Amino acid sequence: MEINPIAVILVYMDSKGDRLLYRYPYAADKSLNNQNLSYSVNNSLPHVDSSGSLTQKSGSDGLQKKRHRFALQNSDDLLQTQPLNSAGNIAISKAGQLQGFSDDVLAPLFAVKPQLCNQKFELKVNDVRFVSHPTLVPRREQQLQQQRSNFISQLTNVTSVVPQQQQQQPQQMLVNIVFALHAQASYSIVKCYYDLSKRLGLALKVEEQRVGYLTEETVLMTRTHDEVSSQQLPLEKAFDLISERCTLAQSLKSIYHDLCTTGLLNATINQNLTLCFCLPAKAHQLHKKGSMVDPETIDQCLKSLKPYHGMLLLVAAVELLDCIPPAAARMLFQLIEVYTPLMSLQSMASDADLSIEHVYKLVSHLVYWAKATIIYPLCETNVYVIAPDAPLHTKSHLVEKFSARFPGMSLFEVISDFSLPTSIGHLTTPLQQSARQGILAQMVLWMLQHHLLMQLHTYVQFMPGDVDDLDSDEDDDDDDDDDVNGGCEMESASLMDLAGSMLGQDDILIAGRSSNSDDDLVAGSLLSLSSQPLPVPHTSRRSITEDRFSAGGSTTSENIAAQPSSSHKSNFSMTASLSTDNCDSIDSIEDEEKIKELLQVFDESDRPAIRRIPASANLDDLSLMVKLYEAGYFKSEHHLEEIMYFENLKRSQLLQLLDKFREVLIIYETEDPAIASMYNNKMPGEW
Amino acid sequence: MQSSGKQYFEGCGKEGQIRCIFLSEFHATAGSKISCQVPPDYVQKDVFDAISVYIIPKPHLQKCILTVNAMDIKIVGYPVGIEDQQKYARNAFLFNLCFVCDSWARSVQYEPVVKKLSEYLIMMEEESCFLSKEGDNKLKLMKIFETVINDLNKKKVTTIVEGDTTIYLKIVTHKPDPPVVKDHMVPLLLVDYQNTPLENWDLTTQQILPYINGINHIARIAAEADVETNLVKSCVQNLVYYGVVQLLPILKYSNVYMTQNLKSLIQNPSLTNACRKYVALKPDKVKPTIQKIFQFYASMTHGVTLRVICQRLCPQNHNIDERKLVIFGLQHKFIRCIHKYPVFTGSVPSGRQKMYTGLSNFDEICCKTGLSPSSIEKDIDKDTNVTVIWK
Repeated sequence: MEINPIAVILVYMDSKGDRLLYRYPYAADKSLNNQNLSYSVNNSLPHVDSSGSLTQKSGSDGLQKKRHRFALQNSDDLLQTQPLNSAGNIAISKAGQLQGFSDDVLAPLFAVKPQLCNQKFELKVNDVRFVSHPTLVPRREQQLQQQRSNFISQLTNVTSVVPQQQQQQPQQMLVNIVFALHAQASYSIVKCYYDLSKRLGLALKVEEQRVGYLTEETVLMTRTHDEVSSQQLPLEKAFDLISERCTLAQSLKSIYHDLCTTGLLNATINQNLTLCFCLPAKAHQLHKKGSMVDPETIDQCLKSLKPYHGMLLLVAAVELLDCIPPAAARMLFQLIEVYTPLMSLQSMASDADLSIEHVYKLVSHLVYWAKATIIYPLCETNVYVIAPDAPLHTKSHLVEKFSARFPGMSLFEVISDFSLPTSIGHLTTPLQQSARQGILAQMVLWMLQHHLLMQLHTYVQFMPGDVDDLDSDEDDDDDDDDDVNGGCEMESASLMDLAGSMLGQDDILIAGRSSNSDDDLVAGSLLSLSSQPLPVPHTSRRSITEDRFSAGGSTTSENIAAQPSSSHKSNFSMTASLSTDNCDSIDSIEDEEKIKELLQVFDESDRPAIRRIPASANLDDLSLMVKLYEAGYFKSEHHLEEIMYFENLKRSQLLQLLDKFREVLIIYETEDPAIASMYNNKMPGEW
Repeated sequence: MQSSGKQYFEGCGKEGQIRCIFLSEFHATAGSKISCQVPPDYVQKDVFDAISVYIIPKPHLQKCILTVNAMDIKIVGYPVGIEDQQKYARNAFLFNLCFVCDSWARSVQYEPVVKKLSEYLIMMEEESCFLSKEGDNKLKLMKIFETVINDLNKKKVTTIVEGDTTIYLKIVTHKPDPPVVKDHMVPLLLVDYQNTPLENWDLTTQQILPYINGINHIARIAAEADVETNLVKSCVQNLVYYGVVQLLPILKYSNVYMTQNLKSLIQNPSLTNACRKYVALKPDKVKPTIQKIFQFYASMTHGVTLRVICQRLCPQNHNIDERKLVIFGLQHKFIRCIHKYPVFTGSVPSGRQKMYTGLSNFDEICCKTGLSPSSIEKDIDKDTNVTVIWK
């Protein structure tokens, strides 16, 4: 895919006619430089300035032909039919840039009719696609008067009709900044360029209204053109002079160069207006060569941002702060100050005293600008594995980069530990110094920054088996889930007790989080731990919560603190009913009713399978199971961390429950689709 | 490029239908105008006036395919000019045959068609002044346009006889370049083509097609069909380009697979049914349950070989053909194969170590060296300078 622009063209039109004022790159006396630049366009290399490449180019004809397939194929024929206005055009065709399009062809094409102004304009000629946003700019009157007095001596041919027209209404100028692109460039790239053209047009409009900048610059350019043509100098001389004299031309030139090298722009128009722009397809290549991240992918990833996600900066915080324009939001500084890849966005938001919405916005910006990526906050239990498209080979530049960053370490040796899904906790033992763990964490972060590692999550799918395959051996699946699972042997009732006593703690934790988080969600998840049965299984979650408030005896929401004790009490009864295998306690008949009620949630055909599970006789377990089932967590859509976060469960609690109901659940590991979309799975070699 | 997206937007990547075809010409007195349009008035006069400069452009842009996308329509044209000082009032006859699409649609596939149809019209004009002569030719032209729109939109191909000229048009879709085919890859014939009679294929394909079964790899197909390997590769590459076959990794019981986006198997009922039908070991017996199939897929993860899963789940007892299951998963991208890449980390590689660059996986190395995976594995185990990476 071709990301780099072929050229940027400035066309201007007013009542006196249309003119191509500037274009870049143009083949000039320093044609060598430009030819090399054109070479770099096709190779996505910033600069190749050895003269060797030039000779090689003209030498291998076949290669050149292939490279030039984006330009007019039959341009030579075309050029012959038209008078060449300068010898320079031949050089242009040699340079492989926009060959065959002379300026007087391009100017009328982009001096569009007024109906087409202020909207997207796209024109494809053979294999070159031109995209722009033609902008109408009302001329600043005062400025014109001044201009006229300044330049009247040189521009004697300015007709005296112009000022009269102006007195009635401000004269409209059309300015069209056109980007010439390879026709193969994808739609999202074209859209980015369109956006850039639109913003440039707007910037020029603002500057014109402020100080008449556009008038000034265009007059200067026109004058230079006239000067040069009167002296019969080649057209390139005019562009040379314009590049020297006009700040607008300089801006366009630097914009072109920035687009070709980094894809990140920070241009200042007329030393006043800052124009920031990012071409994501290009900018993201800086961190990962050969990747094609289009804005749509980023949007998709950002749409699925959750409070539990974390952020990983791709550049050093200092470096980031350096490239932020001074007018940037203070909130960004606040966020960077508290930034750590170990924390979720939610905790960073509360630390930075920002709302989570603001943090989302800031993170979205950082991700779009290729300054950050979305991760799950780094912790010991995260399971990582080598990304399928990790560019790991002996010639990779990452090998050296890694050993430069971590002296004495080999990338291959470190990363081969992640050939099997592994967590940091697995790779370190408690006996080791924390320094070793710190280095390992740093290395994992480095590998995440370079998209070498990918996190795996555990997903759950509700899927009751047939009646006849009772002894399915699914338990092998979750054996390798997590070492926390080791606690499975523990008496379930005692764990429930533990959960109950933990509740108070969690409460504080939640209060510590941002106050504007979804309140009823938190309340709901708190209450979920109380073992009150669900009175109306088919209503929505929120109403269940409310119902339970009234039915559960605790009258007001301030009584949340009282909930743990009540749940504790019922846990006791559960403990009793569990420890004595025969459910002959007084509660059991009542419970039986409730269990029946709970089972109504499941499909008729699935109920026997669930009934068969011993844990379904336990009201606590069943109600939690039903609650999670009803919330849709067992549809392969939510990973364990997400369930834990939204339902405020402990990992051990959740794993216990999943283990108890393993006959009807299928548990498997896979990548988080939201984050995986940022990984490029379409590398050659994959099929 | 999702086919499920319902709304059309610019950049959806979908090909659109031809909405209108018109012929525009430069009239000696009236200037640029539309002289024939089907359906009439699809392109309004004000729209045409705004963009006429791109329909009848300056002479330098003649014989270029010009696509203009503005004012909510997309027009693909091929402006031409016939110079003849005797025949025409202005010494030349300028015209442009244009296809009109929705502005969101891809139109690149129409470019060769527009060019070809234009060239037919040039020929007809040069022979009999078909376009420039006043008379009922415009009606004939409208008939042609109508047929072109209807046939191309429905069948993507059309043949029209007009006077002495027979017009053949066909829409050929551009596809991305096919991947490089290597020795160790396994081609799989897609379902749509399984019933195509053998004699309809070209000669090489006829020879190798019987050996394409989703199990044999390229080198083996070449050996069994007695066709030169490079010929097989280019033949298969060609078939991949046209979407007739798909390339999969070699199926081995020592392979490790990983799930990705497995939920689509459950969420899409037609896919579920297709899967149950495809993976059945004995088609006459009762179809395997989706629970068992899902369980099989879900068991696939890093570090678990296909052999281990088969031993654990005994797919044959549930009428599941594990090989077909793997093929189906790879084909629909629920699973991907985790390959083993040996990497040489020492200073100077020698002999086989030169192949351990991290770019070729075990299958490829085995195919190149002709050694079995186990012997290579032993070789690597002994060598402390080689690290193995799974990805």
